[in-house]
Amino acid sequence: MVNKIEVKNLSCFYNKKCVLDSLSINVVKNEILSVIGPANSGKTTFLRTLNRMSDLDVSFSRMGEVFLDGENIFNVNMESLRRRVGMLFAMPIPLPMSVYDNIVYAPKRLGLINKKSDIDALVEQSLKDASLWNDVKDRLHTSAMKMSGGQQQRLCIARILAINPEVILFDEPCSGLDPVSTAKVEESMLELKQKYTIVLVTNNVKQASRVSDRTAFFLMGKLIEVDKTGELFVSPKEKQTEGYITGRFG
Amino acid sequence: MIRLSPKLSQKLSYILLFMATILAIVPVLVIMFLIVKNGASAISWEFLTSMPKDGMRSGGILPAIVGTFAIVMCAVVITLPIGVCAAIYLNEYAKDNFLTRVIKLAIVNLAGIPSVVYGLFGLGIFVMFFKLGVSIIAGALTLSIMELPVIITTSRNALNSVPKSFREASLSLGVSRWQTIRHIVLPNALPGILTGTILSIARISGETAPILFTAAAFYVPHLPKSIFDQVMALPYHLYIISTQIPNMPKNIIYGTALVLMMMVLSISFVAIFARVYFRKHRKW
Repeated sequence: MVNKIEVKNLSCFYNKKCVLDSLSINVVKNEILSVIGPANSGKTTFLRTLNRMSDLDVSFSRMGEVFLDGENIFNVNMESLRRRVGMLFAMPIPLPMSVYDNIVYAPKRLGLINKKSDIDALVEQSLKDASLWNDVKDRLHTSAMKMSGGQQQRLCIARILAINPEVILFDEPCSGLDPVSTAKVEESMLELKQKYTIVLVTNNVKQASRVSDRTAFFLMGKLIEVDKTGELFVSPKEKQTEGYITGRFG
Repeated sequence: MIRLSPKLSQKLSYILLFMATILAIVPVLVIMFLIVKNGASAISWEFLTSMPKDGMRSGGILPAIVGTFAIVMCAVVITLPIGVCAAIYLNEYAKDNFLTRVIKLAIVNLAGIPSVVYGLFGLGIFVMFFKLGVSIIAGALTLSIMELPVIITTSRNALNSVPKSFREASLSLGVSRWQTIRHIVLPNALPGILTGTILSIARISGETAPILFTAAAFYVPHLPKSIFDQVMALPYHLYIISTQIPNMPKNIIYGTALVLMMMVLSISFVAIFARVYFRKHRKW
């Protein structure tokens, strides 16, 4: 077991208000770590700190360290960090352009690819990996905004795969999706795990138990418990965890 | 208090709102009607393409048309890049601190300064201090200063209307801030920026005070050869022929007004069409 991400004493604040309190947690390579917890428990803040999206907010401040492959992410350039740590948002956000251009957008800007044939191959491969290719192969050049929510979310996955990151962060990726689309997204997560390390923030406790290898329970900005998903759901060590996963609060 | 039935109050408020709208449109229509009615007879190819004759009482208004066109185009060429860049900085980069708040306040207040003040400022700075003389460039610079706040404000609104989520999506893929602005924000803000430009072109084409001391001439017997020439300009020309020249034929005055109006309208239409085109092709 190799640690992909090591978080050491991370505290986060919005307008000086503490939303994440000296968190220390590791993410193992090629695992799905899911983070569950009620609203305002700091799950999303934790996730957005891992690719430094939270640093874009002027009212945000933080202490502590996060290491990606042993390198402190707060010392590396934000763009190159985000290339390695992709993020899928709660609502699907296709860019206002065609399906094809959505995939190509970032690789082109990042200068990863130039030749037309390479680009076509990349689009096809990314869409296949996100199990969207069959749905859209005949309308690659129509607007991505016209697709269904589930397709848009898978397009966003494909878009991340196109820049070939190492870690993918999922921020409640199925909150706006129907059960069938949710199943498809979960399916792709399990496949993606072979190649990528995944951190999944979810409000859906069942989803965490279905897909993740380990689960962490956050409450009021504190990590209460993290364990193998099987263990945590069957015999949680903490009372609060048990209360949350059995639906007694939250 | 009398209580009106919902039905009645609905009817009354509808009539009130409708009348207010009519009231707002009527003066515009009357002005247009009068100008067209009295001025149409003056419009001819010769009127548009020849020099004034007979102490401006006959002949055409070509130099005034060319002059106004030159000043306005120069002003837009100066204003647009500066205004859009400033708007991008303020909207995308500037942190919310004391300095930016002062800048924003200044921009809002600049829009409220009377235009004649800009004219005098332009006279002092561009005409005299920079020794540009009374010229197209001095007039254009003066108009630019006056128009910058409008362009900056409308461009900022246009940039602001591009959903924040697009920026986040782009940034989250490791794309830099500038590339995000260049490839996501700007293309989607373009229709709004164009609208701002339409409004400002329409506004500055008819402005008289700012060019009064900085660009406009009573009469110039030839067309401008460079941006350092003094020119005739339609609004100023209109002012002169309606107040300073005795025995001026009415139809030439109205004809000149008609040309100015059509010029403003046609510039606007070009931009409006562009805007409709962009709207149609907008994907969100």
